[in-house]
Amino acid sequence: MKADWTVPMIALITLAGCHAAPAAHPLTPAQAAARHPADARLAALYDTSCRACHTSADSGAPLSGDHTQWDARWAKGPAVLLQSAVAGYNRMPAGGQCATCTAADYTALIAFMADHDQGSSQ
Amino acid sequence: MTTPTRRALLLGGGALVAGAAGLTGRRLWLDREPPSPPAVDKAGHLLWQNWAGTEQCWPATRLAPTAADEAAHILKTANGPVRTVGAGHSFTGLVPTDATLISLDRMSGVLAHDPARMQATVGAGTRLYDLGPALAAIGQDMPNLPDINKQSLAGGTQTGTHGTGPGFTALHGGIVAFDLATPRGEVLECSATSNPDIFNAARVGLGAFGIVTRMVLQNHPLTRVKKTTSFRRRDELIENWDALSTTHRNAEFYIIPFSHWGQLITHDATTEPVRPRGPDTDADGVLQLKQARDLFEFASPLRFWTSDHLIGGMPDQVAIDEGWKLLSNERPVRFREIEYHLPRETQIAALREVIAAIETHRSDVFFPIEVRSIAADDAWLSSFYGRASGSIAVHAYYKDDYRFFYTLIEPILRRHGGRPHWGKLNSLSHDDFAALYPRWNEAMAVRDHCDPEGKLINRYLSRVVRRG
Repeated sequence: MKADWTVPMIALITLAGCHAAPAAHPLTPAQAAARHPADARLAALYDTSCRACHTSADSGAPLSGDHTQWDARWAKGPAVLLQSAVAGYNRMPAGGQCATCTAADYTALIAFMADHDQGSSQ
Repeated sequence: MTTPTRRALLLGGGALVAGAAGLTGRRLWLDREPPSPPAVDKAGHLLWQNWAGTEQCWPATRLAPTAADEAAHILKTANGPVRTVGAGHSFTGLVPTDATLISLDRMSGVLAHDPARMQATVGAGTRLYDLGPALAAIGQDMPNLPDINKQSLAGGTQTGTHGTGPGFTALHGGIVAFDLATPRGEVLECSATSNPDIFNAARVGLGAFGIVTRMVLQNHPLTRVKKTTSFRRRDELIENWDALSTTHRNAEFYIIPFSHWGQLITHDATTEPVRPRGPDTDADGVLQLKQARDLFEFASPLRFWTSDHLIGGMPDQVAIDEGWKLLSNERPVRFREIEYHLPRETQIAALREVIAAIETHRSDVFFPIEVRSIAADDAWLSSFYGRASGSIAVHAYYKDDYRFFYTLIEPILRRHGGRPHWGKLNSLSHDDFAALYPRWNEAMAVRDHCDPEGKLINRYLSRVVRRG
């Protein structure tokens, strides 16, 4: 007897559809600029360092909160992203011009900009 | 007999293919990302590195005071060298310390303003890109800003950072007064009438006199300007520079090496309706010049031809807006830079020599050469002290060799009487500076008074302030 896979396949496709993230859309620089870390200390660090480039389309930096620019970077993993932030990579200047950020700060700022943090204000 | 000819053709073709493959491989090898320094040292201290990647350190302690008294206490008690950092945009070794690194980020913003005098009191850590809108909100404006605005106000002024325009001084020329925290544990108010020697010596002070915590700036009324960017034949720019620089409020030009073209950028006050600036095209333009270099590094005539065809006929770009929105630019393509400030009388002769030297000896250079003018001022360690100056800046892509700055470019600029920008690459040391600055010894005496134990002196500054 030939197995009928139609029903399970439809169920799988439906389930996959239910769990798929909504398609990401590019943000405008204004939308990126409207985002701020919820934590006040982190927001201050972000404001004096990351914000200048990560809310400007001309800077070439991925815009804060823009999944179309961040998701591929996020997939590299936190260790790679931290190394790039601290030591610089391509157009990213070392340390992101933040002289007082700790490794934990960088990790939190990256998560915020990639929109993988627990909360941000707009 | 055709066999020898055929063989020669085959050999020649093979050699061409092998040569092209070899050159491509060489370029791919040279274009790899430079190795990164360790993010953390053996003691667990995090890396600090400047924007250009030319300087790094792993400070044991990082502090961010919020007030001048706190900064003075840190200076008195912390382990030295104690160095202060703004945005890390200086190319020279002003910042590195393995001991104490102080950030000014928590001393920022417009603290007070005087509308009648058109003055503002500003935290020294304020980034220039934040200062523009903050001053605009109180109807004030800095009519002369550097090409990049990511620097902090303290970092910019302590290194003599400038824009362009013979009617304007560099940023520090607008400082009316400042507060200086010193390693003695004092906070000194400095102006033309209060501690005037310190005011004159430390206004451009390399962070070697103490920590400037706030400053009073003499600003101008907020002004709308018209920015025009146009490509011109380079001979025309060079020959007409005197007229161009005095006709416009702010004028500068870039010479595009291995082409017959340059780019003129002017800013003039206007009442025309606002026309916001469009997307930046400079970064793409620089990368196109890089592509031309990559393809034709060893075929200069082809490179000239390609560049001329890329550039010739490009339309002017015009933007009209408040000056702080137009004077500075995004520069996402990292580079290394040497810049000297020369007497205006020798600027063009030096420029011609620099262009000839690059196009004769350095086919790897593709970044445009920047030419600006700046008014004289009276800060003792200002590169513009006592003389109207013309600047010449040569850049190298961050992946490329820049040692030719010292062997090929700097000798020309020095021979024409130039003084180096304090934040940009140079090979000078104490005796050279002493010969270039008429008030050098007085400035060093003031420095020794402010920092008697040499707590602010790192390895680079030791070369600068201490006799060989």
